[in-house]
Amino acid sequence: MTKTFDGRVVAVDGVTLDIAAGEFFSLLGPSGCGKTTSLRMIAGFERPDSGRIHVGGRDITDVAVHKRDMGMVFQSYALFPHRTVAENVAFGLRMREIAKSEIERRVKAALAQVALTGLETRKPSQLSGGQQQRVALARALVVEPPVLLCDEPLGALDRKLRQQMQFELKELQRRLGVTLVFVTHDQEEALAMSDRIAVMNHGRVEQVGAPTEIYERPRTRFVADFIGEINILEEGGRARALRPEKIRLVADGARVSGTVETANFLGGSTLLRVRSGDGRSFLVRETHAGERASRRPGDVVGLAWSDSDAVLLEG
Amino acid sequence: MIKRRTVLHGTVAAAAMLGAPSILHAQTKTLKITTWGGKWGEIMKGTVLPAFEKEFKCTVQADQAFPYVPKLQASPKNDPLYDVLHTNSNEQWNCVVQGLVLDKISAKDVPNIADVYPWSVSDKIVGVAIFTSAIGLGFRTDKGLAKPSSWKDLADPKLAGARGSYIIPVNSLGQCHLMMLGKVYGKGLQDLDAAYKALEQLKPIKLVDFTGQMEKMLLAGEVSMGVIHDSGVYRYDGQNQPVDFASPSEGVLALEQVLNVTPGSKVKELAFAYIDYMLRPDVQKLLAEGVWYSTANKKVKLDAKYDAKLLTTEAKVATLIQPDWKWYNARKEDIDARVTRLLRG
Amino acid sequence: MSAPRNRQPFDIGRAAYLAVNGLMLFFLLVPIAIVLVFALNPTPYISFPPVGVSLRWFQKFFAGADFMNALTLSLWVAACVLVLSVLIGGACALALARGHLPGRAFLTAFFMSPLMLPAILTGLALFQAYLLAGIGRPVWGLIMAHTLVAVPYVIRTTLAVLHNFDRRIEEAAAVLGAGPVRVFFEVTLPLIRPGVFAGGVFAFIVSFDQFPVSLFLVVPKGETLPVVLFNYMKFDLDGAIAAASMVSILLALSVVLVLERLIGLKAYVKL
Repeated sequence: MTKTFDGRVVAVDGVTLDIAAGEFFSLLGPSGCGKTTSLRMIAGFERPDSGRIHVGGRDITDVAVHKRDMGMVFQSYALFPHRTVAENVAFGLRMREIAKSEIERRVKAALAQVALTGLETRKPSQLSGGQQQRVALARALVVEPPVLLCDEPLGALDRKLRQQMQFELKELQRRLGVTLVFVTHDQEEALAMSDRIAVMNHGRVEQVGAPTEIYERPRTRFVADFIGEINILEEGGRARALRPEKIRLVADGARVSGTVETANFLGGSTLLRVRSGDGRSFLVRETHAGERASRRPGDVVGLAWSDSDAVLLEG
Repeated sequence: MIKRRTVLHGTVAAAAMLGAPSILHAQTKTLKITTWGGKWGEIMKGTVLPAFEKEFKCTVQADQAFPYVPKLQASPKNDPLYDVLHTNSNEQWNCVVQGLVLDKISAKDVPNIADVYPWSVSDKIVGVAIFTSAIGLGFRTDKGLAKPSSWKDLADPKLAGARGSYIIPVNSLGQCHLMMLGKVYGKGLQDLDAAYKALEQLKPIKLVDFTGQMEKMLLAGEVSMGVIHDSGVYRYDGQNQPVDFASPSEGVLALEQVLNVTPGSKVKELAFAYIDYMLRPDVQKLLAEGVWYSTANKKVKLDAKYDAKLLTTEAKVATLIQPDWKWYNARKEDIDARVTRLLRG
Repeated sequence: MSAPRNRQPFDIGRAAYLAVNGLMLFFLLVPIAIVLVFALNPTPYISFPPVGVSLRWFQKFFAGADFMNALTLSLWVAACVLVLSVLIGGACALALARGHLPGRAFLTAFFMSPLMLPAILTGLALFQAYLLAGIGRPVWGLIMAHTLVAVPYVIRTTLAVLHNFDRRIEEAAAVLGAGPVRVFFEVTLPLIRPGVFAGGVFAFIVSFDQFPVSLFLVVPKGETLPVVLFNYMKFDLDGAIAAASMVSILLALSVVLVLERLIGLKAYVKL
């Protein structure tokens, strides 16, 4: 798919995605990378300039939004402020002209599913952020859409609540077997939840793969850099990516030796910045399996890694 | 109900506009006039106009909503908004300069003109003046003031801040007063320099814009003596109000009620008939006694109490001074600028 | 037992804030108080202190056929203006905010222009236009004229609501299966309604109180209340004017309150 705005800015440039049924699929990238535009094209809010969109073998490129039968959760939740929780959830069912008793039953079930029983008559403004989030989720899922689109749905929540919702959403998706397309700029969130991730940059897909694959075998410098901490080693015009935890601190057989500049204690690990004799800077993650390590700035250390851990990057 | 009536009006107007003869025959003629509100308007709408409509088999559309002259100005000359314009003399002069009203009306068109006092059709009048008030001094009778005999009595230092007149640019009584100051303190009505000087001597003075406000100021005691028309005081006759009217020895100024016909009127004959009707002794008497106006028709015999106070004899009429509005209107802008500056400082 | 309370320190900012608000309230209410005193005072002029309390001016007002006809006409016109300006202004605002129209800024200014023009000129210009077009001065002409000056208020208040409008809410409805028409009636309209009707209340009051535009456009025996009051004042400056003003104020107020009750101006969307 390709989409340009104002005829100048290319928002999405030749993106091809093949998402499997029942998959938790994330579009990950910095803001402006085209992930949201891609999602909006799937939803039908934007029309691709070229390319087609198929769902389950059906070409929906020319199908209007309201006939696509999808669910969507927005970052701002986009709840109907003038309707109660129950009315919000019932909306999609009403549009499908389902019998009243059936609507009541399904709304009740959907609210139970997201643990909001008892709040049916509240207005969205009377709910907390997390509760609103759940209403949005229930509203999208109650129509049992084959595809659920999520546009940074957890972005507005605080960290603790976000983690909890990540688990819940993932659990819900697995239980319902819904195909979920999830847009996020948060790489941790994408790694934690997704079956597969498409990392996007400047309107292009840089790499598609399972979280471990993306993390451990980044294909491009952008992907390597965007996800987690990384050391880029330039060797004879080729770049290699080396994760900080793949570097060992050794007394003998060091490939490089250097001086610790900073040591950031991160709880489960400590991240060291080591300056080598030839002026290069290395990030080294030291995990605390046993007793706490005690490298301090100024300590001289030797660094070693195996060749297979230094991943050759394209371009 | 309102809607239906207005729709009917609309039909009449549209028919007149189209000038389709068949429709005009079917419809009664409509005479469009302006007239005052208040007590005058009550008598007009209650008695005078219905009788006229009956006698002349026509409909009278009387506009009581100001401002008449701008509305007339804005309407097409060949199809004016009014057939008869009733307004004060100064505005009639403004209109005649713009060709909005006729220059003169003679006894040939309005036979009752044969019976009027000279002021009614003098060279200071365009159209026909059907009534006049006398502008003089109104005063409180409970403030130990002697009845004023001269316009100069208004300058009495005791009256500082308790004397009243009008905002000259917007009120013709104020304009009359200014001209009178020229006559009393200078060489004549047109001696503006003397008038300006005399006006300055009257400060501090309370100025109002509506003529009706002066009555209220007098009644409320905010003003002890002020320039006012006789009818504005006499109308409280018998109501036990401590106010009276004095005609200064230098003369009183005329505040004429003037009727005139628009040149573009489609019903000129009816318009003249209306003016003639308004000059009839019975109509004149009714209105004069209703609002304390002095009649134009010499033949009117008012009841004693009105006869005693209004200008009903040749001798009393002789004290009436008619301002030259053509002269005044030509200088109005300069005068306005001058007095505004003078009274502000 | 009684621990010493922490004394609130004197806050000069708050004191000034209260003083300014009090002063503003005073300036808003004093004219109404004066009018009320005048309306209840039996003398035909303002006398202070009042010499008594009487309802004679209210009686005169309600017994006057001219006043009552004018009041009925004014209410009727204002009601029509409310409906028309809500429809027109609401549609204009939607077009301006949503229509991707070329020259939007110009169009907005254009729709607002009746507010810039002195109302007396609007009235005069329409008067001339009506006469030239040969349609006379029908009531609908007056209603149109009032609507012309009332529509900008509706556009303004509606645009304010639309400006803060989260379009994702409409998108959410669309994804859930609502077609464009249903989205409009189920979501857009209920959400902009407070703005539209706030404008409608303005429109009603603008029309009900309208003097300069009406001045040239009313016909004999078809004058609106402000015009009748103005002309009445030139000949009979008595308490009936004040009584009429009080009645107008109360009527306008009750219309606002009734609308608020019926439609719920208390917005869940901030204006």
